[in-house]
Amino acid sequence: MAPVASRKTLIGGMTVIGLVMLWFGLTTLTGLVTSARFPSPAEFWLSLKQINGRGYAGSTLVSHAFHSLKLVLMGFAVAVLTGVPLGLWMGWSRRVEAFVNPVFLIIRPIPPLAWIPLAILWLGLGDAAKILVIWFSAFVPSVINAFTGVRNIDKPILEAARMLGTPRWRMVREVILPASLPMIFTGLRLSLQASWTTLVAAELVGALVGVGFVLNMAQQDIYPGMILVGMVTVGILGWVTTLLLARVERRALAWNVAARD
Amino acid sequence: MGSISFRNVDKVFGQGTGGVKALDDINLDIADKEFVAIVGPSGCGKTTCLRMVAGFEAASAGSVLVNGRPVTAPGPDRAVVFQQFALFPWKTVRENIELGLRNKNLPVGERNDLVASALKLMNLETHVEAFPHQLSGGMQQRVAIARAYVLDPEVLLMDEPFGALDAQTRVVMQEELVRLARHNPRTVLFITHAVEEAVYLADRVAIMTRRPGRIKEVLDIKAVRERENWDSHARIEDVMDLESFVHLRTHIWKSLREEKGFKDV
Repeated sequence: MAPVASRKTLIGGMTVIGLVMLWFGLTTLTGLVTSARFPSPAEFWLSLKQINGRGYAGSTLVSHAFHSLKLVLMGFAVAVLTGVPLGLWMGWSRRVEAFVNPVFLIIRPIPPLAWIPLAILWLGLGDAAKILVIWFSAFVPSVINAFTGVRNIDKPILEAARMLGTPRWRMVREVILPASLPMIFTGLRLSLQASWTTLVAAELVGALVGVGFVLNMAQQDIYPGMILVGMVTVGILGWVTTLLLARVERRALAWNVAARD
Repeated sequence: MGSISFRNVDKVFGQGTGGVKALDDINLDIADKEFVAIVGPSGCGKTTCLRMVAGFEAASAGSVLVNGRPVTAPGPDRAVVFQQFALFPWKTVRENIELGLRNKNLPVGERNDLVASALKLMNLETHVEAFPHQLSGGMQQRVAIARAYVLDPEVLLMDEPFGALDAQTRVVMQEELVRLARHNPRTVLFITHAVEEAVYLADRVAIMTRRPGRIKEVLDIKAVRERENWDSHARIEDVMDLESFVHLRTHIWKSLREEKGFKDV
């Protein structure tokens, strides 16, 4: 196991180094790509130094990033805490499904980003509007996957629990929830991705702080180095949060054979 | 006490003209502490019979009684052992066995004692904290049997419990079940399509016709077993060699062969 894993890391590292070298070659070395189109590594570094020191678009990179991270986590949390229970409930009760599904069918085709103007109209350029939009976008995958998780539970498992005389609340906590957990986590992963996408879009359209705001400012300043800083920052934040979620998943699903690979 | 009665039971799946009649006028009485096996061709509705006693399905006509009372819902007085084990994969062996006792609100001390004796009974003591996926099929079915036995149910319902096991494991489990059934007799309804298994385990064997399933014949195995002293043989293969065993087996085989739908091994 270990040699295979380290080999994978090695190859991955080589790919990254190769890409950086290609970047350096195309910009600084040969000048095939001019700095008006894409920044060179040196320009990227200067932009990074600027935003970390003097700051850019009102504050330093760390506080922009922290602000965006905070909003994503809040929106994601609200979406998961409302979406997963609703999905479980819909999966469990045909009546609830019949009741909620029409609403879903109408709302689902509307891309989450299309809610941004309305959210800004309602709540302004502050945090509340962003959380609302993240909630709209991250809610749907949480609901749908929790719902599917319940519907896909092996029938004999439910019958065994009923045969053992399991009372309703224990049934939810100790049977329905854990049995749906693999699907719920699939939903959480999609919700997290949706949260980042939506947040950056919302900050691009209207914000006073945040990574999306940095991108928007840099675009208006025609400042490719800073644009790249913003992009890389969003990439790293998305990557780290996904990694953390995967860790939680591995711990929660230690019993699951399929998840162990 | 744990008697089971089928009274003029019909079962139709679906509705109207699209309905399929699965069971036709089933009548069968199983006495307290009696071990009855139902054999029949695939799709004859034998599992449906068990599922009605368990409370998973309702009869379309007639009544299914346990201790003279109609079955209305599943419950721990009728423990089920499923063909595919149906263990909770997120619970350890102990937690799987314990759930039914927790549902009964037994005090912790009593619960632990019962779980310990069930673990011992099924030789699971070395795997208490394992998860189901870490166990072989045979071990998983031991857990399922322990989970059912620990409830001390009036009725034990076994739905082809060894059908998913390999041949060797199957033999071991059959011998263990005989040991359990003789030492701690209780009412068992056992569904199988394996004729030898039915003859080896049961007090009586009910043979069903192909769909719509009817009870074709009920054979008294216990009388033969006691007369010929089968239980003096510890090994299943020795019992299976006895002339009285072979005779019964062949009789059931022939009876099943007359049913066109019978294609099983």
